[in-house]
Formats: sequence, structure tokens, C-alpha cells
Amino acid sequence: MITVHTEFHSHFREIAATARDSFELEEPLVAELAERISARYGEKMRAMLIDPETRELNERGTMFVDTSGRRISMEDTLEDGETITFLVGIAGG
Amino acid sequence: MESRLLRVNLSTGELTGEVIPHSVFERWIGGSGINNWILWEHFLTHDINCDPRGPDNIFIFGVGPLAGSGAGSGVKGRITFKSPCYNMFGDSAGGGKFPYMVRFSGYEYIAITGRAPRPVYLHICNGEVELRDAAHLWGRDTAETHALLQQELGDYPSKAHTLTISQAGEKQVGIAGVVSDALRIHARGGGGAVLGSKNLKAIAVQGNGGIRIQRPENMLAWSDDFRQRIDGNEAVYGFKRRGTLGAVEMYQHIGSHFWRNNQGNMFRGDEIRSDNWVKKYHKYSEVCSSDCFIACDGKYKIDGSESEAAKKYAGETFRRPEYLTTGSAAGALDVRDWAEVAHWGKLTNDYGIDNQDLSCSIAFLMELRERDLISDRDVAELFGHEQTLRWGNMDDIEACVDAIVFQKNPFGELFRDGPYYGALKYSEMKGQNFMKYATYGKGGASFTEEMRPFPTWMNNMAVASRGADHLKGIGLIEKFQRKDLSKIYFDGRTEAADLSTPELKGACTALVENQVALLNSYGVCLFHWMLDPAGYTPQDYYGQAYAAATGIDYTPEELMLAGERICNLEKAFNSRVGMRREHDTVCERWMWEPNPEGMYEGKVAADMFDTVLDEYYEWRGWDRESGLQTRERLQRLGMDDVADVLAADGALI
Repeated sequence: MITVHTEFHSHFREIAATARDSFELEEPLVAELAERISARYGEKMRAMLIDPETRELNERGTMFVDTSGRRISMEDTLEDGETITFLVGIAGG
Repeated sequence: MESRLLRVNLSTGELTGEVIPHSVFERWIGGSGINNWILWEHFLTHDINCDPRGPDNIFIFGVGPLAGSGAGSGVKGRITFKSPCYNMFGDSAGGGKFPYMVRFSGYEYIAITGRAPRPVYLHICNGEVELRDAAHLWGRDTAETHALLQQELGDYPSKAHTLTISQAGEKQVGIAGVVSDALRIHARGGGGAVLGSKNLKAIAVQGNGGIRIQRPENMLAWSDDFRQRIDGNEAVYGFKRRGTLGAVEMYQHIGSHFWRNNQGNMFRGDEIRSDNWVKKYHKYSEVCSSDCFIACDGKYKIDGSESEAAKKYAGETFRRPEYLTTGSAAGALDVRDWAEVAHWGKLTNDYGIDNQDLSCSIAFLMELRERDLISDRDVAELFGHEQTLRWGNMDDIEACVDAIVFQKNPFGELFRDGPYYGALKYSEMKGQNFMKYATYGKGGASFTEEMRPFPTWMNNMAVASRGADHLKGIGLIEKFQRKDLSKIYFDGRTEAADLSTPELKGACTALVENQVALLNSYGVCLFHWMLDPAGYTPQDYYGQAYAAATGIDYTPEELMLAGERICNLEKAFNSRVGMRREHDTVCERWMWEPNPEGMYEGKVAADMFDTVLDEYYEWRGWDRESGLQTRERLQRLGMDDVADVLAADGALI
């Protein structure tokens, strides 16, 4: 069992109605984190997080990064105490 | 497919309608592609080294075949000209209703040459064209000019839609743009100065003509599918709520803002660095164009109670700031109050001036003063009176804006063409080298974002045909680390999405430049593509809409070749005015000064710059040493005629 912290920004924060949360995971995998977050915050969050066709993390208009700024994928493993940040991916304007 | 071109010779008053034949579309697609071709042809019979503020320059407005077609993919019009501030190729896009109302008035393209003997505006109404006296409009800003024209022209057969310049354009300030319907600026490159030099204050269009769609059933089917893709995408819904301001928190997190002339890369104000203020204050939604399924735009009204600073602007209403409005104010100039940021957006729009060039020019001077490289006396010499230069102080900032817009004093005159030329001239004037404090790429002002950790973005800044620019080859694959897209475009390879290697970064610039050239030729908004509800493929999915609108069936490969052709024509223009590899570079700050903070601290452009640029030339099929195009590549693109012109100018390998 590990604990992973999450930081939600912009539209993620609006859906979650909180900027931060923590999740206890049986398996230290991004896939389990995505499932736990979706289960806690509902279908809108699931739609932001998971591509319904590929079952991979939704890459469109989003950005999920670890503390070093690296984009995470479903198959990545997580460390106890790690923070994952959920951002919208847009530029310019 | 045919399109209508209006030629306006302001020197003679001659107004001529022409049909652009199908064969031109087969080669140049539409929109920016056709604009580029009109520009190229013009400078086959006029001196390409002419003064861009002289009568030999040409100003072209054009709109692509999907704009106003009902596709729902947004609308962008494009202006194209020889840039008066950078002295090379110049173009700029703008959205809203004006572009498709040009079509409704009877034309898709307008090419303006010469110089009117006195201020005039161009009126087009259902195919009838007239040059009218503009004495009553001269000296007014874009909002006043638009309001007067709407009042003067009435509501039949439609309300008047306008493209106007401000006092800055009239004074031929190089960083002055043109503004459509008083709301949306075509900012980059100095189109406003070109119109000002021609004594053309505005273009006003009215009309109720339709737009012919070659395969209407196909268009309806495509449009319905596109709408469903957008409505089914939660991330797009988030974008509808915030527009590009959604980038504020992402950039704050990864360290990608441009703070105090890029001495840092994070916003400092507690409120401004979160996008909570967008939701809190901006309750009005707004549709940019009726041909857009996203509708990301918004409006604000300051009631004066929001903050101490807001009192000054109570009652002010305008469009919600976009990211670059915020990036230039809260970033480059360290403005920390949202009402002041919003006011900055309205101010720069009313004055029709590029907020990127403007903010970087002001920030340059503020940094010199902050570092005591210049004294209060030096500043007084520039302004003609004592002038403070405090970061984030709107009074000081507005004094600088006024100086440039109205060409009031030496500061305004020095920086009329943006930070690069301003810094060069000021360095010469003071006998000191201040260039390490100027931010720019290829002579164009910085785009107010942190570039150093992002090799593709940095390469974009160096090679963009209109000077430092993010939109020509927007590096989303890299910045958002989209390995999925890298795999699609580069035969399963992921390096284009990996910030730690120069591999595929130059290739990515070339690829996306071609794609963006294609999108700009369709006349659609780039955000629909960026948000990716349709799979990020302008040559496939959008190609179907293009076929429905025009009746021209291209394969995706042919469309990508057309995109490459359009990029090569812009390159050829710049080669003709003498630009070579040495011009494809960026400022000292980005090249050598380590990224000062944030997630990617310590990065400098020099780490990967030459490797990426070499790869870019290689993918383009251009000569690495000189940066010039090769006959072989141009022939492959069906551009033998262009190659012949370049060869005659000694600008071809």
C-alpha cells in the first residue's frame, strides 16, 4: 500500500472541487491512481483522465506530470509519497 | 472552385474585380496560401527591397474556403504584406465575424497597393466597392473608428463589419496591427503601419450574399461529426470555460511564463498565478464567430469593487484576456492585478498594437533601469521629462505605451519597430551594448513564454518566416510530451516528445509548420486542431471538409505537400530580401543565460540549438550551410518558377 498525492489545476480542480487530494493504492501504478480518482470524482473526471477508446490516459488537452515534469503514462509505477499534478494542456492565444 | 479578388490601387483610385482560377487553388489551397502567392507575384514586378512603408508594398486580406462555410471549425482571416518592422515576410491572423463577412460582401481576397492622396476607407457592399473620405476617422482609435463606421453605414443589408487601424497605424508605428470589429487584432508584423502608410484607415464590409459550398451534404455530415467530437470531449469543455487562460496554471507549474523580461518564468501575484480569477470575474460568454463549435471567448465588466486597482477602471467592458495578454502584462511587465491585466488587453486592442512587441520593448527599458545600466537622467532624455519605470505600475506602463503609439518622444521613436531594433538603436545611441537584455528571435519580438527548456519552440523562434513566432510551427508534441503523436508522425519514434534530446525537434518544427500552413489556408482556428478532438490531422480529417467546400479532392499526402509548398514560398520571399542561416537565431538571453527557475532550471538554448537547426534544414531539404533552398526540393514541390526567381537573385543552391 502506498500513498500518492494529487494536485488539480484549472478544469481538473473545478471538477474535483479541491486543489489537492491523496489516494492510497494497493498497486503502485498510474492505472490504479486514474481509476481511484475517477471513482471518487465521477464521470466528468473519468472523461478527462481516460480515453474511452484506448483506455490509456487521455492525452488530448491535458497534461499529467510527476515532480520532475515528466508526462506519466498508465503503465508507469509510482513511489510512496509522490505527487502527480493534473494540468490542462493548452498554449498560445 | 473559383474565388473573387478585389484589387485596389489607392494611388489611382482604380478598383478591379478578378476571378482567381481553379488552377491557383490546386497549387495554393486558399487563405494564407493564396495570400502568399499574390504577394510573391506582386514582387515579381515591384522591387522586393522597397520601403515597406512606401507605395510599392502590398497589403492583402484573404480568407480560406472553410471560413463561414458552416464547418464549425472557427474562422480566421489573414493579412499578408512585407513587414515594416522586421523588413521581411509579414502576415497575421485574426478571428471574429469580419473574415466571413468579407465573403458575404462579395470577395474572398483584397489586394491593396499604392497610396491614397488623403485618408480614405474602403467600403464593400454586396459587390459594390467605393473609396470614401476618412477625414472624420483619422486620429481615432480602433473602437471609436468601428463605432462611427457602424453608425454611418447602418444595418442594411447587414451591419458593417470593419478592419481598422489606430493612431499608431496612422503614424506608421512598425508594431501596429489591424483590428477587426474593434475586438480582434491581427497583431504581428506591422500590418497597421502598412495601411497607415497607404492612408487607408479602414475596410468596412456589408453584405448578405451566400457562400457556395460545392458538396453541401458532405459538409453537413462533416460538420455534424465534428460537433459531436467536440461536445464529447471534456477537455474541450474546460477550454470553453477558460479559453487560453487555462495555460496560466500549467505554465506556472512547469515554469513557462516570461517574468520581468524573462529574468524569471513564474508569475508573482498571488491572484494572477491561478486561473480562479477567470471564473470569479468573467461571467459573460461570447461567441467569436458563428461558425465555431467551441466558443472559447468571454467578456468581462469591471465593477470597481474587485480590487484597489479596479476602481480606476470601473465600468470598463471588453473581451476576456487571452493567455498572451496575460503573459505580456502579468509576465513581461509583472502586473499583478487582474483588472489591470484586463485593461492592458483593452488598451493594446484599442490602440491596435502588438502586445508582445510592446511589452518586450517596455520590459527591456525597465530592466536596464532596474540594473542601473541607465540613470534617471537617461530615462528623462528618452521621455522628455522625468519618468519612473516601475515593474507592474500601470501609470508608468501607459506612459511607455503612449510614447510608442503617438510617437511622442525618443523612446517611442526608438522602439517603434519592437525590442530588437529598439535595443540596437539605443545601444548605438548610448555607445553601449545592451543587446543581452533584448528578447527576440530572427529580429522579431519575443513571444512572452519561457523558451529555453523547449528545443522545438526555440527552433520555431529562430526560423519562423515572420520573426520569433510560436504559431507557425507550434510545438505541442514537445511541450505536452505527446509520445502518441510522435509515434504517429515519426514511424514509431518518441523522441519528438522527449525534452532531453535534440532528436526530431527540427523535424517536428518542419512537420508542424507544414500542418499549420495548411490549416491557415483552410481559414480555420488553430485551437480546434490543438485541442485535438479530430485526431490532430489537418491533412486527413480537415481535408474532407476542404473537399466538401471546394469540390477539390486531395490525398492527405498532396495536402501535406501543399503545406510544405506554402512554407517554402514564405522562405523564398525572405531569401530574396537577403535572409540566410545567420538570421535564423535567437537572443543572447535564451542562447546563453541559464533558465533561472522552475522545473527545467538551468537549460540554455545553446545546448541543442545548432543540432536542431541542422536537422530542420535537413528535413526541409535546404542547404545547411547557407540556409538557402535547393532547386531539387523546389522542383519536387512543383515550384520551378520560384526556383528560377531565386536563382536569378543568387538565393538558391
